[in-house]
Amino acid sequence: MFINLKNFFVFSAIFLISVNLFAAESEPQRSENVEAQLVTDVMSIMPGTKINMALRLKMDRGWHTYWLNPGDSGLPTEIQWTLPDGFSSSEINWPLPEKIDTPPLVTYGYHDEIYLFSTIAVPADLKAGNTITIAARVDWLECEEVCIPGGVDLKIDLPVKENAPVPDEQWSKIFADARTKLPLESSEWKFAVSAKDSTLQLQGVAPDWFDSTTGKVIFFPYEYGVIEYSKAQKSSFKDGVLKLEMPMASGAEKAPQVIEGILVSDKGWRGPNSEKAHYINVKTGMQLDAMPKTNSSSVDGILLALVFSFLGGIILNLMPCVLPVLSLKILGFVQQANEDKSQAWKHGAVFTLGVLISFWVLAGSLLALRAGGEQLGWGFQLQEPAFLIILSAFLFLFGLSMFGVFEIGTSLTTIEGKTGRKSGWVGSFVSGVTATVVATPCTAPFMGSALGYALTQPAWASMLIFTFLGLGMAFPYVLLASMPSLLKFVPKPGRWMESMKQFMGFLLVATVLWLLWVLAQQAGAMMVILVLASLLILSIAGWIYGRWGNLAMPAKTRMTSTIVATVITVLTLFFTLKSIDTFAAVPQSGESISKSEGINWQPYSDQLVSELRESGQPLFIDFTAAWCLSCQVNERVAFSSKDVQNKFTELGITPVKADWTSRDENITRALASYGRNSVPLYVYYPAGKESAPVLLPELITPGIVLETFKKNGSKTISVK
Amino acid sequence: MHKRIILFTLLVTGFILHTSMFASEKAQINKAAPDFILTDSHGKTHSLSQYKGKIVVLEWVNFGCPFVRKHYNGKNMQALQQKYTSEDIVWLSICSSAPGKQGYYRSNDELNKKLAEEGHEASAYLIDASGDVGRMYDAKTTPHMYIINKEGILVYDGAIDDKPSAKLEDLKEADNYVSNKLDILIAGKEVDPETTNPYGCGIKY
Repeated sequence: MFINLKNFFVFSAIFLISVNLFAAESEPQRSENVEAQLVTDVMSIMPGTKINMALRLKMDRGWHTYWLNPGDSGLPTEIQWTLPDGFSSSEINWPLPEKIDTPPLVTYGYHDEIYLFSTIAVPADLKAGNTITIAARVDWLECEEVCIPGGVDLKIDLPVKENAPVPDEQWSKIFADARTKLPLESSEWKFAVSAKDSTLQLQGVAPDWFDSTTGKVIFFPYEYGVIEYSKAQKSSFKDGVLKLEMPMASGAEKAPQVIEGILVSDKGWRGPNSEKAHYINVKTGMQLDAMPKTNSSSVDGILLALVFSFLGGIILNLMPCVLPVLSLKILGFVQQANEDKSQAWKHGAVFTLGVLISFWVLAGSLLALRAGGEQLGWGFQLQEPAFLIILSAFLFLFGLSMFGVFEIGTSLTTIEGKTGRKSGWVGSFVSGVTATVVATPCTAPFMGSALGYALTQPAWASMLIFTFLGLGMAFPYVLLASMPSLLKFVPKPGRWMESMKQFMGFLLVATVLWLLWVLAQQAGAMMVILVLASLLILSIAGWIYGRWGNLAMPAKTRMTSTIVATVITVLTLFFTLKSIDTFAAVPQSGESISKSEGINWQPYSDQLVSELRESGQPLFIDFTAAWCLSCQVNERVAFSSKDVQNKFTELGITPVKADWTSRDENITRALASYGRNSVPLYVYYPAGKESAPVLLPELITPGIVLETFKKNGSKTISVK
Repeated sequence: MHKRIILFTLLVTGFILHTSMFASEKAQINKAAPDFILTDSHGKTHSLSQYKGKIVVLEWVNFGCPFVRKHYNGKNMQALQQKYTSEDIVWLSICSSAPGKQGYYRSNDELNKKLAEEGHEASAYLIDASGDVGRMYDAKTTPHMYIINKEGILVYDGAIDDKPSAKLEDLKEADNYVSNKLDILIAGKEVDPETTNPYGCGIKY
């Protein structure tokens, strides 16, 4: 991907030089360890407009430069512009920094490559036909372990033309990507900060449409003396509310009045893979009404899950490792209770308690793990590709085991023989516990599915699900213990068990299929192929373990095969998970058209737009591209909202999608007609032949779209 | 076996006591400056407590750092050292660079040669290779300046001046926080305790 882009870039650079003497970038200059260059996304400038100018800094491996607040040491990069008369420049818009840890110091800066954006305003009275020069003196501090001041003089020549500038395709794409690292200026998130003792407590309430998690969140202050940079910040996100605790700067006697800086979320403020940085400027001491979102897990869904867990629990008893135990166990109960028949059901109840407690312990440790995971920033969510991949691998391996490729835990079932001999109440209780433990190898796959679901639910729901699973598992025991006459209906162990086991294997593979389908939706076909390939390798590992690791083999062979199989499994999973970022595709724009269901996008053409304009129908144009991440996030956030979809229908707005993924002259011209040369751009024409176009902000939410419709004559088409 | 357990417990308790003692000895503005003992470039030991009754300046230094270079190449730091040591102020330069890192000298000969070359005029150049004193004072950058008044109270913690840069030409325009404070103290007046944002290279702990 990267190499392709680079080749493309080199090729087009050669192409550009051959057709045009002007380039959208300056000559790169180097200090000792950093290369710097001025870059813009247009080939010419037009009087009275603004252009995006970026300082590109490419740090050598291991070296870094600093953010606007460098942290405990360092210096922010400075740009001093030398501009022609009448021009003006904005402050630097800084992309999100990294936290660079060199105990006991922490600094904020950048490794690798960054783009520091500024806006240059071009005066309206500038004459076309000239060439102007924009120059900048850039100074920075470059540090590895030691620090060296670096600085260069850069200049870029641009022709002044009367008409809208032609965008530079390559830089447009790179800019679109780089802009996603800039902090969101506003969103529908609400933030408040209060101070308690020597801790600042930040609270964020997610907008209604936010259905993801923030992951780990870190605050980067703009100013010195707000927080202690080197002390850990604690964040948690639950039910739509973000909590972040930050230690106040030592020596600060009271909390600063205003907290300004950026919050960086691991996952993104507008869902997975969206913008990670969010600008905040809030007064301290304000409180937010903590309004947790109503739980997304509906009661109906949970009831259904409970029924299934109960049934699943019963089915657990049919699993090959449990069934032989079952009849023996019950015979035991019956014998014990023979002296006093009324005692039989009591033994059953104690047994149930044993099973339940084992399940609770299991559920409890999983919940603890999950809570820990949230602290660490990994969310157990089905929208998390890593989670999906691990679950698929896990279920697939168990499926293979069911088919008999290899055996799991052949030694576990023997525990039964040792502990199953106790009598009395304690005996029944211990039997309940051991039955659960003994059943584990066979139940794991089913537990895996239940676990997958339970972990995405709130704690109380997970607990209930596990309780019902346990009740289901204990149910036949209780039933049979109370009515021993039913025992004759219990199927005898035999060949059918093997068939049953193998059949279960297919069910597991089917589950894997479903998981991969979900994965395909999120990460694209390439990722699924990668996971399938890793499943193939895992199956080889399973086969090695089954073929040479079984009990019939000499101990040494068994040991070697176990090690080999484990190493293969771990490495495969490691590389698969590591390559998520490389292979996970941003959905193609074609897909997103079909995905934003409810809105029937029409492909852009000049003709379509002019026809609609003449008829006076309201019109909404979405200028987008597959390589533009903010465009994808905007579509996911704003157009998947039912309210927005309904409003489109209600107002009779024709939705038009202008896809700029591959070079399209018409769309380039259309963009220029709105004074733009980049995507995203959203244009709304309210009803009426003479209506003026309304340009929406670059980052949109359902609220912003609905507000635009409301403010700009929300006459329904039928009124006319 | 029991002996081992007792030994282990003792070690753990000792460790906890040790760290908690250190934790309580962190420098804080407007509080008594914590005492320390360090060896200078001639092998002589200095403690903060031995200078009680005098104004003490602590200057964190690393001659390889471009920000320190600005103040030494511009003869700014040496001038301050000379001026204030002649006013009976104790000026201690401290280097917390770990062995092998920038600013660390393998031998005192090498170091003293360097000090002569720089025209270093401070009362002493102290070596804190373990970084313990640096951590005790939360020293972050080179330079990072501290002022302790005659009563032993830490009254200033922060930058040397208001021009966070490594450019020599910025020295002329800079407002020197340290000399401002020292002049007030020399005049026998009280200074408002203050912390500012120190600037420079990170200390090479």
